[in-house]
Amino acid sequence: MKKKQNKEVKKNKSNELIDILKKHGAQVYDDLENGQFPKFSIPNRSISNIMYDKKLRQYVLGTNTSLRSSRNTSQLRSFTQLLWLAFFANKLTHEKKSSTLRDVYYSSQAFSMDFEDQGESDNIIVDLEAVLSKPREDFFVFPEERSSIFGDLTIEYTIPGYEGKSQNLSSHPDGYAIGPSMTSAQLVDTSAELVIAIEKGGLFTRFVEEQVDKKFKSIIINTGGQAPRSTRTLLKRLHDEMNLPVVILTDGDVYGEHIAMVIKSGSANAAHLRELTVPDAKWMGVWATDIEKFKLPTIPMTESDIKRCYDLQKDPRYQEGIWKKELEVFTKIKKKAELEAFSKYGLTNITDKYLPEKLELARSL
Amino acid sequence: MSSKEQFNQISPSEFFYRNRDLAGFSNPTRSLYTAVREFVENSLDACDHSGTFPNIHMTIKAVDPDKPDPKQYILTVKDNGPGIPSKHVPLAFGTVLYGSKFGLKQARGMFGLGATMAILYGQITTNKPVKVKSNSDGKIRHDYEMLLDIQKNKPVILKNEEKSSSEKGLSVSIYLEGDYAKAGTKIRDYVYQTSLITPYATITFDDPKGEKFNHKAIIRTMPPSPTIIAPHPYGIDVETIRRMLVDTHYQIPNVDDKMIEKIRKELGMSKKKFSYTEIMKKTVKKWKSLTRPVRVVIALMSFLEADFEKLKRIRIEDVDLRNNKLIYWDYNTSETLVADMDTESIYYKQLANTVQGESLTHFLTKRFQRVGVTSAVEFCKFAKFKPETRVGNMSDQDLVKLSDALQTYEGFRSPDPTCLAPLGEIPLAKGIERRFEPDFMVVVQRTASAYSGFPFVIEMGIAYGGKIESRGTKVYRFANRIPLLYDEGSDVVLKVVNDTDWNRYKVKNDSAPLIIVSHICSTRVPYKTVGKENVADRPEIERELRLALQFLSRKLSGYMSKKGKAEMAIKRANLYSKYLPLVAQFCTELSGNTKPPKYESMIQEEIKIEEKTE
Repeated sequence: MKKKQNKEVKKNKSNELIDILKKHGAQVYDDLENGQFPKFSIPNRSISNIMYDKKLRQYVLGTNTSLRSSRNTSQLRSFTQLLWLAFFANKLTHEKKSSTLRDVYYSSQAFSMDFEDQGESDNIIVDLEAVLSKPREDFFVFPEERSSIFGDLTIEYTIPGYEGKSQNLSSHPDGYAIGPSMTSAQLVDTSAELVIAIEKGGLFTRFVEEQVDKKFKSIIINTGGQAPRSTRTLLKRLHDEMNLPVVILTDGDVYGEHIAMVIKSGSANAAHLRELTVPDAKWMGVWATDIEKFKLPTIPMTESDIKRCYDLQKDPRYQEGIWKKELEVFTKIKKKAELEAFSKYGLTNITDKYLPEKLELARSL
Repeated sequence: MSSKEQFNQISPSEFFYRNRDLAGFSNPTRSLYTAVREFVENSLDACDHSGTFPNIHMTIKAVDPDKPDPKQYILTVKDNGPGIPSKHVPLAFGTVLYGSKFGLKQARGMFGLGATMAILYGQITTNKPVKVKSNSDGKIRHDYEMLLDIQKNKPVILKNEEKSSSEKGLSVSIYLEGDYAKAGTKIRDYVYQTSLITPYATITFDDPKGEKFNHKAIIRTMPPSPTIIAPHPYGIDVETIRRMLVDTHYQIPNVDDKMIEKIRKELGMSKKKFSYTEIMKKTVKKWKSLTRPVRVVIALMSFLEADFEKLKRIRIEDVDLRNNKLIYWDYNTSETLVADMDTESIYYKQLANTVQGESLTHFLTKRFQRVGVTSAVEFCKFAKFKPETRVGNMSDQDLVKLSDALQTYEGFRSPDPTCLAPLGEIPLAKGIERRFEPDFMVVVQRTASAYSGFPFVIEMGIAYGGKIESRGTKVYRFANRIPLLYDEGSDVVLKVVNDTDWNRYKVKNDSAPLIIVSHICSTRVPYKTVGKENVADRPEIERELRLALQFLSRKLSGYMSKKGKAEMAIKRANLYSKYLPLVAQFCTELSGNTKPPKYESMIQEEIKIEEKTE
């Protein structure tokens, strides 16, 4: 059994965020008091300022920053919006009330923040992430829930009304949604030795039915396609706090390969954020080479699939190891296979045959 | 069988009668408008030249208001100008090609042709006489009613009355067929625009519907009137040279009171004994000491055996040296008469000398501007003429050669602009300001320039905003103080305006309340058509227009950016007062303070800073 090492982590995280927000607020307050126009320094998120950090094994922002000043009339509005969001985030964090991107957009209207559309308010949210270097989940702005978790993991809620209440995540066979309460919960303990992240809800249900959690001592997570950031945060915490290795199972195509890559090393879109990646995570399939090896039924690639192959070949992270090798094979065979393809050889073929073999292989990767 | 063709000479009246379309009398709409123009322009010209502030009153009345257009109208134009001396009235209004505008200077009309054309048109369409009331001395007004004898090109006087009146001026009234329903807009535009370019004139107009348009004079200074000058060699053709030569033949002075006084003094005679026989006697003794004009007048007297009273009432038409005849027109009897000339007398030599004309160099230096003795001699060398050639003896081939050489010789200086009468920057500016009441206005007068021997000056004004109601660029075109209303599309001014990239000058072309007033002054405006409504794109004129517009546009651009800054300052102030309170509120809560920061002064200060930069 693995025990949660530091119970105070989550609490500190909230306090730390509140401190940063307060610091920013005080700066603005002092500027005004001194007759100065307050401003924010925001890391530049344009392509030219995004680079791959080999040590961190993720995309990071360079040193370029842009000033958003309240003196400049063309920036005054977005400056005020950003300050408002900080104010709103502070409130959410204090009250531990979760909200969505859409909630933020509508909440703004009570303060006559006149965002033109949700796109504009979403942008401001990313701005604040960049200023704080914190993902929005830290200030209680969450994506729609579409990913879920199942397995022997005990958590303890921290959200208001459930504080101190604990829950084991193996009691409900449909799994548990990874929402705000899950993301902010304390990870108390687990008997699992492995986390299996799987791309598709169908396979997730199959894995629960086939008791993969027990057979392979694992926690199963459905990423629902490209893993939402709260899910990636949870994966990282399971790896870091519970010392669990993470393996990823996706469809056998370039998109699947990239889903695994984003869990491992993040995306360029989130280059302003850290702690969203699990650099040690391993992609165990379905590989391009598996298609031949397991004689899987295939679908021909579309033109956009092929274009994606060539695009990814330029990505610095695809220049070595299996990432490079599998991408080359995909590009060569121009075929793809879904996880469900294993059903050709029986519904449990994937859990009985493929999974054990790949897990064995993953250990040596 | 042989077919006989009849060749008949037709009179100028007949010619214009047959070709009235040329002069703008093509249909009732256009004709009414043209008639208005001709009379108003004549009146303005007359006032200008006599230095009188024009006060022009025009009425158009329908003879039978209930009839549908086109119908008969009575057009009356009355001015406060110098009037026309009674004896000239019949010829001035009763013949075609009679006028006082044959010299070379800038005037609205040329030759006074148009007014007679209007009268002719009126007579053709209504068969009613023209009524002219002229008062040239401020004492007696002469009222005429006349018809035009088209075939003979001579007036037929129906009525001639005198009334005592102290009001100087001329009033002309004609009946004519017109279509005011269609021409009304143009006529009102014409009156309005004329008042814009003639801000020292008061122009009133009573239209057939009972509306009164009153454009009062807004300045009390008149632009200096142009001086009559000789033509420039470049602007001359064979026909003009021929006319000038004919003109030199008849260097026969006007016999007026001044002339008579001059003759009396030169002869040293008293007023008592100043009769025909006495004059002739005295002349024989004093001939050598007499000046040339006096000699010519006396020579005429001798052949006509006429005293001054008679001399005043005739006009010399030709001195026919081949047949030794003197041909003249008698105003009293209204006929052409002939007198024989005695080839032996000294008077004949005097007249013959006058007719044969001066030497070529003399002709060039005297009759043309910008030609001095040196350049005249140089030119003769260039054109291969003997400098002492008598112009009166030159053959037609010689004249063509001379005319060609005048065009091609490059040694002449550029034309003299003193014959031009631009309005001037201040009057133009005042006109624009009062008529449009814009927010911004600037005018420019370019220095004189020339195209093919004709000097010209461009004046231009630009106005923006204020009470200007039109949207987009509206161009008011003028030439020699005449508004040009038709055929806008093909005009050189429009071309230049349309070529301008207004974005460069911070003006939104399609929505800006922008007005451009363009005035081309020239002794000859190069109209594209006889209708005199659009100016041809001569490169020299186009260039000047472009430079003028560029100058004005730059000024406008300066104004626009100032205006932009002022608007920006207000916009900023608005933005600050909208957002800074919110910023204050959020940061107060975020930082955990209880009182909001003192930020109010920042909104105020920002406004002050902006005001200073204005």
